[in-house]
Amino acid sequence: MSKLTEKYAIVGVGESERSKNSGVTPLHLALDAARAAIADAGLNATEIDGFMSYSEHDSCTSHQLATYLGVRPKYVKDIMGGGSSTEMLIADAIGLIEAGMVNTVLIYRSMNGRSGVRMGGGGWDVNMLQTAFDGGSFIIPYGAGSPSQWFGLFATRHMHETGITKEHFGHVCVSAYEHAQRNPKAFFYGKPLTMEEYLKTPDLSFPFNKHDYCLESDEANAIIVTSADRAKDCKSRPVYIMGMSARQCHPHAHYWSDLSQVAADYVAPDLYQNAGVKPEDIQVASIYDCYSWVVLRQLEAYGFAPRGEVGAFVAEGNLKMGGKLPTNTAGGMLSEGYTHGMNNVLEIVRQIRHEYKGTDRQVENCEIGICTGWAGPDIAGAMILRN
Amino acid sequence: MSYQKPIPLKTLDNSPYWDAADQHELRLQKCMSCGEYAHPPGPSCAKCGGTELSWETFGSDVKGTIYSYVISYRPFLPGFQDDLPLVIAQVELENPSGVKILGNVIESNHEEIKIGKPVQMVWVDITEDRALPQWKLL
Repeated sequence: MSKLTEKYAIVGVGESERSKNSGVTPLHLALDAARAAIADAGLNATEIDGFMSYSEHDSCTSHQLATYLGVRPKYVKDIMGGGSSTEMLIADAIGLIEAGMVNTVLIYRSMNGRSGVRMGGGGWDVNMLQTAFDGGSFIIPYGAGSPSQWFGLFATRHMHETGITKEHFGHVCVSAYEHAQRNPKAFFYGKPLTMEEYLKTPDLSFPFNKHDYCLESDEANAIIVTSADRAKDCKSRPVYIMGMSARQCHPHAHYWSDLSQVAADYVAPDLYQNAGVKPEDIQVASIYDCYSWVVLRQLEAYGFAPRGEVGAFVAEGNLKMGGKLPTNTAGGMLSEGYTHGMNNVLEIVRQIRHEYKGTDRQVENCEIGICTGWAGPDIAGAMILRN
Repeated sequence: MSYQKPIPLKTLDNSPYWDAADQHELRLQKCMSCGEYAHPPGPSCAKCGGTELSWETFGSDVKGTIYSYVISYRPFLPGFQDDLPLVIAQVELENPSGVKILGNVIESNHEEIKIGKPVQMVWVDITEDRALPQWKLL
């Protein structure tokens, strides 16, 4: 991808209500999120001509969403995917806008992730799972059916090689929960976590206890991407995309065959080169956090601390307000809510706009932020944003 | 009672591995072009793209060391509720060195599981004609 600086912007963000039992369909949630994002941008729905979504077969289609916004879309796309799909679809939208196929794209993720199809909820057909992944027959018969077990194999090895401890996982969790105390819409608002409590919580699957796992929620999120030219006509303060590395992969689809590397290792150099900035230029972050350890491994991959020093970096409080890299400032997926990463995108857009100015939730004077996506050790993408 | 857990599905690419396992032997796929062993096996070599593949048998005395592991205290798939805590380990083989095979470390005190611990492959007969390779602490 060539230099993107100042050519494309996120001009609208919005969400539905967040709950554990929405009582409505994903289409209703998506409509709420889309209308909120459209109002945030100050657009008419008919000015949006592209609609995209990602899901795990648990959502509505883009065509349905456009239909009930009263729009005949010029382009729709619904992909199967979880983490890092937001970044990939933004890159796809940019490509289509650059090619002149569409002008403005709305991207959403809508799910009844708690009351409907639960990611951690089981009920999967085990023979389907054996064929769903490369080499699935070599993991499913051994009871390894959860990302917490798959990523856990990477985490245990990483702990062994770099000296990261459970206490370092705890710092990621405690920091996230602390951010959630400033966000009344976070699930864990009013429920702070102490290190003492973290450390005495029994493991669900070593090396992870329940605090290391993300939440499950019913909600939809939406964002609107357009060209910098069109962004000038929007009501919101545009957040410009400085650079992206939309989607990189582990060398092997059966990524368990090599626990020493993750896709994010390949995203980082491409991203920084594309954006023309360095890790030390970044003041606020949304780091994909399906598990606490995933944040630690990405801090290493994206160069915020050298390998072996990531634990000390989080122990110093650097993910908290006033730290070097306030991260997941709405509480993240560990303590706010879970839409496979898009809620973290909404938050960093609001931070970079200085939407919380005058409150203790604003990362003071932040100009440049990083937003990372992690489908797993196998697939990742990221973008750097500025105001 | 019949076996409640998932039974490895034999496919076009992996059946020589599982057929050997049913005979309590380890068999691995090897690329004739670059010499790379592939686990899991595939339709061609993941290292060089080569299409000339062969299978090599390593018998029934298979040793390795624990390269990484998780210990699950709840079942994440149906059928594993009586196997808790469940140790899932990635084991690095002694021969051919570097190849890694995932399995459960069975009949072991989970508190003794550590990276670097030596293990031996054992085969558990799960149905009349199927066997599942597993690991035991040495």
